[in-house]
Amino acid sequence: MKGQFKLVYVLMLVMFAGILSACSDDAGSSNSGEEWTGKITIWDGPRWAEEGDDSGEDGEGNKYFWLEEKIKEFEESHEGVEIELVQVPWAEMPDKLGVSIAGKSWPDIAPVDISGSAVSIEHIEQGVIESVDEFFTDDEMNDFYENAREAYTFDGELYGIPNSITVHSMLLNLDLFEEAGVEPPENGEWTWNEFADAAEKLTFDRDGDGEIDVYGFSTYILPGYYEAWPFFYINGGQPLSDDLSEFTFDDPAAVEAIQQLADIKLEKEAAPVSMGGADVGGTFQAWASEEQRTVAMEPWATWAITSAQTAYPTNFMVANYPTGESGEPVTIGGVGGWTMFHQDNDAKKEVVAEFMKHISSAEEQYVMSKEYGIFPALKSAADKDPFADNPEMARAQEMSSQVVMLPRHPEWKKIDEVIQRELQLVFNGEKTAKDAMDAAKAGVQDLLE
Amino acid sequence: MKTSTGVKKHGTLFLIKKNYSAYLFLLPKLILFITFIAIPVVWAFILSFQEYKVFGSVWAGLDNYKAVFESEAFRKALYNTAIYTVVTVPFNVVSALVIASLIHSVSRTAQNFFRAAFYLPTVASMVIIAMVWRWMYNYEFGLFNYIIGWFGADPINWLGQTDSALWAIIIMQCMIPFGVGIILYLASMGSISESLYEAATIDGASSFQKWARITIPMLKPSTLYLVLLSTIGSFQVFTQIILMTGGGPGFATETIVHLIYKTGFRDFEFGLAAAQSVILFGIILIVSIFQFKVLQHDE
Repeated sequence: MKGQFKLVYVLMLVMFAGILSACSDDAGSSNSGEEWTGKITIWDGPRWAEEGDDSGEDGEGNKYFWLEEKIKEFEESHEGVEIELVQVPWAEMPDKLGVSIAGKSWPDIAPVDISGSAVSIEHIEQGVIESVDEFFTDDEMNDFYENAREAYTFDGELYGIPNSITVHSMLLNLDLFEEAGVEPPENGEWTWNEFADAAEKLTFDRDGDGEIDVYGFSTYILPGYYEAWPFFYINGGQPLSDDLSEFTFDDPAAVEAIQQLADIKLEKEAAPVSMGGADVGGTFQAWASEEQRTVAMEPWATWAITSAQTAYPTNFMVANYPTGESGEPVTIGGVGGWTMFHQDNDAKKEVVAEFMKHISSAEEQYVMSKEYGIFPALKSAADKDPFADNPEMARAQEMSSQVVMLPRHPEWKKIDEVIQRELQLVFNGEKTAKDAMDAAKAGVQDLLE
Repeated sequence: MKTSTGVKKHGTLFLIKKNYSAYLFLLPKLILFITFIAIPVVWAFILSFQEYKVFGSVWAGLDNYKAVFESEAFRKALYNTAIYTVVTVPFNVVSALVIASLIHSVSRTAQNFFRAAFYLPTVASMVIIAMVWRWMYNYEFGLFNYIIGWFGADPINWLGQTDSALWAIIIMQCMIPFGVGIILYLASMGSISESLYEAATIDGASSFQKWARITIPMLKPSTLYLVLLSTIGSFQVFTQIILMTGGGPGFATETIVHLIYKTGFRDFEFGLAAAQSVILFGIILIVSIFQFKVLQHDE
């Protein structure tokens, strides 16, 4: 029996030692005059694998190799600095970050912006996010595209380093255009009427069995996703007034734009019944998957262009969203980059910022643009012409000038949900755009006050 | 000090000293329970009276609770969750009883096979099950619309319409065998004395009469446990919602736990989310006590 008790004691000691070691911090150390040494933690999602790498269970290769190489380079040039990469699937990033923030166990660096999907302005106000202003010269600041810098700026200070810009664009399956005998828009520019006309003509019964095999258009409606939204802006509508005090999607300009897109499905029957639902993957598969390709046109963010060139090779072109009464094409964009979380040690903060700049340089943004399907946030990276041999990406990059940013209201996620939930009811035919936006107004106005 | 039964009553400390080896073996589990269950529960309760901030939360009194009770979204989520619970709990428990009764009457080998077959969905990931069911509900090529097409019915946008989305989730839950219930009922049926059935046979009772008058009453303790278990699970429905509908269309499939998740991890309003959790805990507690009283009373 005594031997058993000894075993229990030993096990308990081991357990407590484990708990205590897990609780130890990694603040590192720095003596005056010497560089800081210690551990930096960075989170990242899968990006791209090296050509020919089919390792891993799914055969998709190591999609973290780029950052692993950058870490190795940095560690070699900074003796005593260890960088731990935590691999986090993109879909889990906001939740995991939310939990880690709640537990004050955040990483030093994460690939998020301050728009609210994972971290928000409130986190800046609470001191969770560090300003990186002091690490940039005026010349370096001016090298950022203005909208990229703006996306990471709050109260005149830079909170993070933008490294990429994305836009939403229309992707057109040219094989289906040809099959239906429809001419794609010249230079990817078209009006609403031309778009609606094309959607109807691209809806056809391929095998004569009386059932539609291909639809002209589809998209989905889900809180936090904005592929359909540029259509709602084309007559000059916008969700909130410029001073963010009024809900304005109930203006006739917006209501009409919402209704006419819904009518592509409800009246013209040029979209599948699933249009306006919440199935993101299913919507993309309907356009991209070789087994399906039942939809000719869908709006997607930039990643889909790369996907249609690699994972789902498709004969396609990139087009603007159609123009409406305003006559100007509109799209919605996003900005990605790296954010630094709260640091207690100034010396460590300096090293963290140095590493962030190391992975966000013009050279690295050029590489990411070519390999990962994003547009650089630095003018000097764009000057290297990463899309010289990629006309689809080059076409999408032209659309950067059409970008409107979403309102940056502290309650935007709640406002967005109220609007998108009502939009779902418009697209499934349960409400008119007018009724839905009137209903949304009641909910949104409460949040604005 | 002596009790009415004449046994000397010892102090707690004495009992711990006497059985210290048992307590030592329980200690690791107790530490885990306190760390991962007890402390978070107490902390959530305290948090529900605070406005959460990363560096020092602010005391908010009953503001979070007031906000929850005034919230239209919470009322809608509560209504949806209640509908889901009221339909799925009785269906799951009754179907488990019927299936277990049918399995109990077959040979031992067949019993083992059906036991494993019906328990399989319990160990399968709800993520996988939800993905399969989303495909079955697909408007264009889903299994259900294919089947109703045989009878000339128009296809249904199962997950895309407010009047069918919640029912689609409910149907899915009802179609997944309640594995735990079946196993528990089978175990309980095995412990019912054969002499009761023999006496009933002598009295000329039919098989159905024996099932209704002997089996069901004798299974009441199991039924009570399963009703409580199923009710708690139903009030906490989440995975199906987030994977299949995201709470939509509109707020047609919004449930309480999905709302708590959004409040906490999307809006970072942990104080409000904690208040919602405490209220959910209270609701489950009241419903459970009610069920316990009713079923125990019947017994």
